[in-house]
Amino acid sequence: MALVGGAVLGAAGHWAVLSRSCGKAVAAPLFGAAAYSSVPAVSNRDGQQREASTRRRGRTPQFVRQHLPPRTEKMAVDQDWTSVYPTAAVFKPASVPLPVRMGYPVKRGVPPPKEGNLELMKIPNFLHLTPPAIKKHCAALKDFCTEWPSALDSDEKCEQHFPIEIETVDYVSSGTSIRNPKARVVTLRVKLSNLNLDDHAKKKLIKLVGERYCKDTDILTITTDRCPLRRQNYDYGIHLLTVLYHESWKTEMWEGEKTEEDMEEYIWENSRSQKNALDTLLRIKASENVSDVTKEELLASEVVKDYRNSVIALKNEGETEKNMSLYKESVKKLLNMQVLP
Amino acid sequence: MQKQCFLLSSNLVGIRLAGSHVDTQEPKTNPLVSVSNEPETLYKRLSLLVKSHDKAVLESYEYFAVLAAKELGISVEKVYNPPKTIERLTLLKSVHIYKKHRVQYEMRTHYLCLELKHLTSSTAAVYLEYVQRNLPEGVAMEVKKTKIEKIPEHIREPVWDTLPQVEETEVKS
Repeated sequence: MALVGGAVLGAAGHWAVLSRSCGKAVAAPLFGAAAYSSVPAVSNRDGQQREASTRRRGRTPQFVRQHLPPRTEKMAVDQDWTSVYPTAAVFKPASVPLPVRMGYPVKRGVPPPKEGNLELMKIPNFLHLTPPAIKKHCAALKDFCTEWPSALDSDEKCEQHFPIEIETVDYVSSGTSIRNPKARVVTLRVKLSNLNLDDHAKKKLIKLVGERYCKDTDILTITTDRCPLRRQNYDYGIHLLTVLYHESWKTEMWEGEKTEEDMEEYIWENSRSQKNALDTLLRIKASENVSDVTKEELLASEVVKDYRNSVIALKNEGETEKNMSLYKESVKKLLNMQVLP
Repeated sequence: MQKQCFLLSSNLVGIRLAGSHVDTQEPKTNPLVSVSNEPETLYKRLSLLVKSHDKAVLESYEYFAVLAAKELGISVEKVYNPPKTIERLTLLKSVHIYKKHRVQYEMRTHYLCLELKHLTSSTAAVYLEYVQRNLPEGVAMEVKKTKIEKIPEHIREPVWDTLPQVEETEVKS
C-alpha cells in the first residue's frame, strides 16, 4: 500500500513539474531556458495555483503584467556612465549593459544570468568608480591639496630638518561603534645624534631608557598609551622626552661612584692592563740598566699606543681574527720578541 | 633654517597656481577652498592596510586607490599583499551530545598594503576622506601616519642654560 501511494504521488509530482516547465516557457520570453539551478523549489499546490494566471487561455491583459524593455537597450555606446551610477548602488541588471553571469553552474550548463541574480547583488560593485569617474572626482578635489615642499625630497633631508617622528594609527571598520581603543597609542621616535647631548648625558640617557633605545640604529622609541586620548598621549610623550633630556644633563653626587662594571665601553686609561704594561716595561728597562724613563714617555711611545689600541678593540668589538692578530703584533713589539719559527 | 615658505599653505596655493597658469587671465579660485596661515604638518609616510574577506574586492579597491593617488599627485612607494590569515573554528554539529561529529568553519582575511610617501596634512586629509568614503561594505582599513616634527624649543638646550644667571636657585627641569 505504501509503495503504491508513493508511486501515485510521484507521478503527480512529475506531472506538476512538466506543467511548471511548460508554463514558464510559454509565459515570458524574458526568462531563458531553465538550464540553471537557481529556480526556487515550489510545492505542487502553490505551483498549480500561481500558474493558473499564466496558463489562462487567451491571456487576458488584466492578469499578465507587461514588462517594459530594459534600459540597457536604449543606452548609447558613448554615454556618460557617471550619470548612470553616480554613487555606490546595488547592481541593477536593467541598467548595466553587460552580459554578466555569476553563480555556480548546473552540470553541463552555464552560470546564471544577471536577471534576479542574488550573487551579483550581494557583492560590492565598483560601477560608480570607473576610471573616468575617479578622474572627475580627483580633478574636483585637487584644489584642496597642497604640495609637498620640494626641498625635502629625500629621507635624510627630512631627518636633518625634522628629527622627531610621531606615529599614530587610525582604524576604519563597519560595526556598531566607530571607536577603537587601539587608536590612542602614540609612538615617538628620535635619533639621539640629533639631540643636543654631550658624552656623559648620552650615556646617562641610554641607561635611563634601557630597552627603548636601539644601539644599531641610534633611535630612541617612546610608546605611550596610558592616557585615554591621543592628544594626551602625545603630550605625555613629549613631556617624557623633555624630562629625560634634562635629567641626563644633570650630574648627581652618587654618579662619581661609577665603577668599572658600570662602564658601557672599555677605557684603557687607569685600567689594570695599563698598569701591567707599564710595570712590565719599567722592569724590562730596569733590568737592561737603561736610564729611568718616565711614565709619560712610555705612554707616549708607539709600542704602548699600539698595545692600547689593540686592547681597546678587543674589549669593545669582541674577538675577531683581525683584532687578535693586531693584539699579537702589538705584544710582540712591546716585549721585543723575535718571530719564532 | 628659513623654511617658512613651504609651511604656510597660503603661499603654496599661490605658487602652484602661478606656475600652472601661463595665460594672463587671473586663475579661478575655488570659492570652497579656505586658506589658513597655520603651518602644515608633514607626513613622511602614510601606510594603509586594507582588510577584507574577498580578494576580488580588494583588487578592485587597489586599482581605485592607486589611480586616485596618482591623480592627486601623491607618490606611491609600495603596493603589496601581505599573506592572508585563516581563522578556523571546530564546533559541535549537534545541539546535544554527538561529540564525535563536528563541523568546521573558517574565516579568511585578505590584506592589501599601500604605502604613500611625502604628504602634507591637507593632501592626506583629502585623500583619506575620499578613499574612506568609497570603502566597500565589509572592508576594514588601518591607517598608520608617520608625522615629522622639529625638536621642541625646550629640548634644544637644558632649561637652566637659558635662564638668567641667578645665584642659589634650585635647578628645575
